[in-house]
Amino acid sequence: MNFLNDYIYYIGAFSLVFIGLYVLLVKKNLIKVIIGLNILDTGVYLFLVAIGYINNGTAPIFSKPGLNPKNMVDPVPQALVLTSIVIGVAILSLALTLAIRLYKHYGTLNLRKIKEQRW
Amino acid sequence: MVNLILNPVLLIVVPLGLAFSIPLFGLISKKIEKFIPTAALLFNLIVSVILIPKVLIKPINVSLGGFLPPFCINLVAGPVAIIFVALIALVGLLVSIYAWDYIKEGAKEKYHIIYLLLLIGATGVVLTGDIFNLFVFFEILCISSYSLVAYYSDKAGTESAIKYLIQGSVGSAFILIGIGLLYGQFGTLNMADIANQIHSIHSISIFLPLVLLITGFGIEAAIFPLNAWLPDAHSSAPSSISAVLSGIAIEVGLYAVVRIVFTIFGASSLLMFFLYLGVLTLLIGEICAFSQDNIKRMLAYSSIGQIGLIVFALSINTTYGVAGGLFQLVNHTLSKALLFLAVGYMIYRSGSMNISSFEGMGKKMPYTSFAFTIGAFSLVGLPPFIGFPSKFMIVKAALFKHEILFTVLIALVLFATIIEGAYFFRVIQVIYFKGKKDDLKRERAPISALIPLFIFVGLIVFIGVYPKIMTDILNSAASELLNRLDYIKSVIQ
Amino acid sequence: MRKIISAILLIVIAGGITLSIMEIPFGVNKAKVGEYYINKGREETGATNIVTSVVLDYRGFDTLGEITILFLAALSVAAILSLSRKRNDKKEKIEPASLILYTGCRFLFPILLLVGSYIFIHGHLTPGGGFQGGAIIASAYLLIYLSCPGKRINEKYSKLVESLSGLIFIALGLIGLVIGGEFLFNFLPKGTLGTLFSAGIIPIIYIAIGLKVGSELTGIIDNLIEES
Repeated sequence: MNFLNDYIYYIGAFSLVFIGLYVLLVKKNLIKVIIGLNILDTGVYLFLVAIGYINNGTAPIFSKPGLNPKNMVDPVPQALVLTSIVIGVAILSLALTLAIRLYKHYGTLNLRKIKEQRW
Repeated sequence: MVNLILNPVLLIVVPLGLAFSIPLFGLISKKIEKFIPTAALLFNLIVSVILIPKVLIKPINVSLGGFLPPFCINLVAGPVAIIFVALIALVGLLVSIYAWDYIKEGAKEKYHIIYLLLLIGATGVVLTGDIFNLFVFFEILCISSYSLVAYYSDKAGTESAIKYLIQGSVGSAFILIGIGLLYGQFGTLNMADIANQIHSIHSISIFLPLVLLITGFGIEAAIFPLNAWLPDAHSSAPSSISAVLSGIAIEVGLYAVVRIVFTIFGASSLLMFFLYLGVLTLLIGEICAFSQDNIKRMLAYSSIGQIGLIVFALSINTTYGVAGGLFQLVNHTLSKALLFLAVGYMIYRSGSMNISSFEGMGKKMPYTSFAFTIGAFSLVGLPPFIGFPSKFMIVKAALFKHEILFTVLIALVLFATIIEGAYFFRVIQVIYFKGKKDDLKRERAPISALIPLFIFVGLIVFIGVYPKIMTDILNSAASELLNRLDYIKSVIQ
Repeated sequence: MRKIISAILLIVIAGGITLSIMEIPFGVNKAKVGEYYINKGREETGATNIVTSVVLDYRGFDTLGEITILFLAALSVAAILSLSRKRNDKKEKIEPASLILYTGCRFLFPILLLVGSYIFIHGHLTPGGGFQGGAIIASAYLLIYLSCPGKRINEKYSKLVESLSGLIFIALGLIGLVIGGEFLFNFLPKGTLGTLFSAGIIPIIYIAIGLKVGSELTGIIDNLIEES
């Protein structure tokens, strides 16, 4: 039980990652696959932020003059996640645009039917 | 002043500034937009060629922001990086000249901006010394290639682009998990600093980030089980983009894998696995290419095969082997770009991508067919061209190991080369020796396409006849990859 | 069949990751780079928000890559959807929005713009920054799209703002190169800690990024709305 208490954030983040991967591998509808991709990305961001946490720490902002630097969490993973969220938004918008064009060409969003390119 | 211009940061920043300003130029006049990528890449080519002699003496380290290395992002311009930057600038410049007249429809202004950003992403990947910065520039490369594959918005292009996008994004997620695991254990994101703290790869907490990073970057590098997207994507893109994707994007992905395996992790024990994977990729690529009728799909499978050959050469863990692998990489870039550019106008004139429709091209487009032939001969490895010294180096490196395993593998490599020769000769036969004799009207490709084709042909012949001009740089590049301690010392001091 | 194979594959990967995660204890201070930034961040960059100083000063090159990616995304969406727009020129009958939606959005629009601008102007003092403020500005424009269907933004101005903001970032970096010897060197005076005009070039870059992100996300929404 102690193990669960300590690692609960990692377990939560990786559960999201594996749910996202499962959706990507199994579902047929393109919009569901894109949503699965988004869930996968969210899980990865949560994992990155969880790596930087320090017990009983607060945000690394010196808003009042008396704050102790020893109680602050690590700022680097937060910067990494900021950049990665923007990358995720860019890929999501590109994927949705391609989904719109695919629907215009094929009339369906079923990935098993969009297979014109063969060997 | 000269020292300011010769700073490796400008290799990324000046083209980026020009890319941001293309819409502003577009407000003035629509005609000058297509010349700006050419100008930016010309600048890159000149600066990187001038930097080559300086880099061979001592690698140039640039720390950004005025702080010291593990606490800031740094760029490491070593011999490997400068070869890649010069190659990217050269191929990018020639393909951008080709695209002046080849891109006639669609949103042309955006094509040129996205094309320039693809090359900036590739230059950033090879120059950086920080693993998260590598990821960011790698994403610039990937996103621009997803959108350029879908540039014509036709059925084949959009389908290939969405499949490429989904597979590439899964790869990016794996890379991020790997970076997170590495940061969690070592507390730093600088490649040299991480390399300094890794002494063996036998514990699971170091082996798992290695596997995740190789899988993530390997999707872009098109190593065997991860290359399902390649034949569709490279055959549905416009031909100038296929040239850049086959010539630059997958090589840069392979550079990322090599940097991780050799420099950061020092995983020499994993190289045996890559030996087999390389030969397997080579055989599968060449055999699938043999059975194709669509010429661009044939060239795409041939790219898969060549990447397998380069991986095989790099896994022979000696200076000769690694230098041979890098030489083969240069050969593949130049020859494959030449082949795709030539094929672009041949498809345009004949109207279809099937090989059987190219009958009589030898008479209709004599210069273009000549260029195609030179590219094919060079890729297979025939003597006066650049393919011959590179393949010779690989064979010699394998035989120097004096082990039965390497002799068997090199026999398989030669078998694959024979298959490659067979399918290229089949295409050349259709171009020159078939076709009705009366249809002799000549429709030459425009001059903006012929200039890059002939510069490529000239380079292939020149380096093929005097391979010595490349071997010095390649040997220092090989020793940079094999001696990771020197790399670590030069960055962290 | 497909479900069983993917489930087995995922369980294997999960096992590997669990074994590896055991080595990384949760909540323990392990990063030397993070500690250096927290301890020295105020003196070296002058910003009280350490995440901002990491994003813009210590790792400013990543931010440059990030705004390039957003620029790429806006261009790609416009390029891929450009063909169909030429064909859909017929005017369809547009239903106006209901009175509550119309009034509410008209009321909220300037407030959202103000909140967004506040967030990116004070990026070096309080939580927030250019990306967050830009996203709020884009959602203000999304409210306009919802409440006045058929109204579109002026594309020329949006393109102008995007390009100029990107050029300002690169120009500041190049001036740092000329003055201080390294790209993105912080050359303006650092001022007193905690006031608005402090931290050198950081607020200027964040203002440029905020405007750029706002106009790019609005451009993406504009292109996607045209399609439906």
